[in-house]
Amino acid sequence: MNPSAESPSSIHTDCAEVQVPGQVFLVIAVASLSENLLVIVAVIKNKNLHSPMYCFICNLAVFNTISSFSKALENILLLFKDAGRLNSRGPFELKIDDIMDSLLCMCFLGSIFSILAIAVDRYISIFHALRYHMLMTMRRVLIILFTIWVLCGTSGALMVGFFEAATVKIFFIVLFFTALLLILLLYVHMFLLARHHANRIASMPGAQAQHRKSGLRGALTLTILIGVFVACWAPFSLHLLIMMICPENPYCECYRSLFQLHVVLLVSHAVIDPAIYAFRSVELRNTYKKMLLSSASRICKRCA
Amino acid sequence: MSEYSNRSRAGADYEWHYEYYEDEEPVSFEGLRANRYSIVIGFWVGLAVFVIFMFFVLTLLTKTGAPHPEMCDASMKPHVLIGCELEVGGSLALSLPPLPDQSRSLFHFYIHKEERVKTHKDALIGRGMHCGRGNAERADEDEHFMSSFNIPNFVNSEQSSSLGHDDFLLSEPPIITDGQSDELKTAEPAHLCYDIIRH
Repeated sequence: MNPSAESPSSIHTDCAEVQVPGQVFLVIAVASLSENLLVIVAVIKNKNLHSPMYCFICNLAVFNTISSFSKALENILLLFKDAGRLNSRGPFELKIDDIMDSLLCMCFLGSIFSILAIAVDRYISIFHALRYHMLMTMRRVLIILFTIWVLCGTSGALMVGFFEAATVKIFFIVLFFTALLLILLLYVHMFLLARHHANRIASMPGAQAQHRKSGLRGALTLTILIGVFVACWAPFSLHLLIMMICPENPYCECYRSLFQLHVVLLVSHAVIDPAIYAFRSVELRNTYKKMLLSSASRICKRCA
Repeated sequence: MSEYSNRSRAGADYEWHYEYYEDEEPVSFEGLRANRYSIVIGFWVGLAVFVIFMFFVLTLLTKTGAPHPEMCDASMKPHVLIGCELEVGGSLALSLPPLPDQSRSLFHFYIHKEERVKTHKDALIGRGMHCGRGNAERADEDEHFMSSFNIPNFVNSEQSSSLGHDDFLLSEPPIITDGQSDELKTAEPAHLCYDIIRH
């Protein structure tokens, strides 16, 4: 085993792999961890937020928390390895690496399923408003959440265990495209309904023309929601597709050299998610204000 | 012989481990006609075009008005929940089938209001509070309307439009607590009725 023949491709390849420093991952992971923990704490503390919609948002936050935690841990261990304290090929380290990878996989799948669940829940709440409480009982919500966790846990473990097989990559790509299509359909249908009724309000006497502004804002919100989802998940999915289709094409090689950037995008989705889903809720923001005020008053009492 | 035994002893010093190769053969970069990163550039340009196209389609829909999507459910016919100023328009968002007779009489509304208040008291109180507000706040009505679904849990508990300019349907209205709902129930129905009749 000649060490000089370790990576012959690096001698001939013009597209060297773009390395993202571990500190970037660490910063993103810590930011995502704190944001999502805040969301979880707020949802748990406020009894008004114990409803199906917020259960799904909290579930998304839990998945994001676990993924950012395992990413942060992975980066810390990489730092240790660079410092020479860890043997990167030891059996214990490989096992830890596998566990972290499967946790990451589980959380990525879980985020997609949670985002889908949020969209479906919103759709049902609009189009089947009167039956919503019969359709979405807390018991059903808990069953759905349990199913999501079991599915994602087993899929994550299987995906990492059998990563070499093409089925794993195909499964992920198919899941991404299905989720994207469903989200597009559901949200655009909801948007159309909202526009229809906004137009009816505008056509009534006494109504002001403010609905145009709200329409633009609605379009912007929807665009941001879908745009962020696609921008964060599509590069990684395309990477998996390219790994399967053209492993030796130089163009594909250059795309694959940006792998770490694509993983950065994937992890930054966990940072942006609370801003899109959780922090838009007025009730949640009020919970934060109350928490902040109560902790400030407690500090003031200690100071005084 | 001695060489052989030396070699066999040296064999114990070997350390076997895996070498991970991306590719067995090097990827040749000779004679590329386009830029190396053309797939990357093409992907991101396509993504940007898709997002911008979607935004323009959605804003066009807001300007011209979308065709009426079929969302009324036959099973929802008996329940009529109406927001006050939308009464005239017919079937309302979130659901509900048109009134049985399309006369839209305000009296009709008032009769149904009582029944609704019993069945969906929280949601109606929320609606009533919208109606109860003055014209100054009607600018935010439709946005709040879009977001205040007929879900008893999600009711506007604040008198003023606390959503400000949050988007339709993607923000949640504040949730009314049980303690507040009783006082509101007594205060609002008359107000609601009066407001409708005024129009």
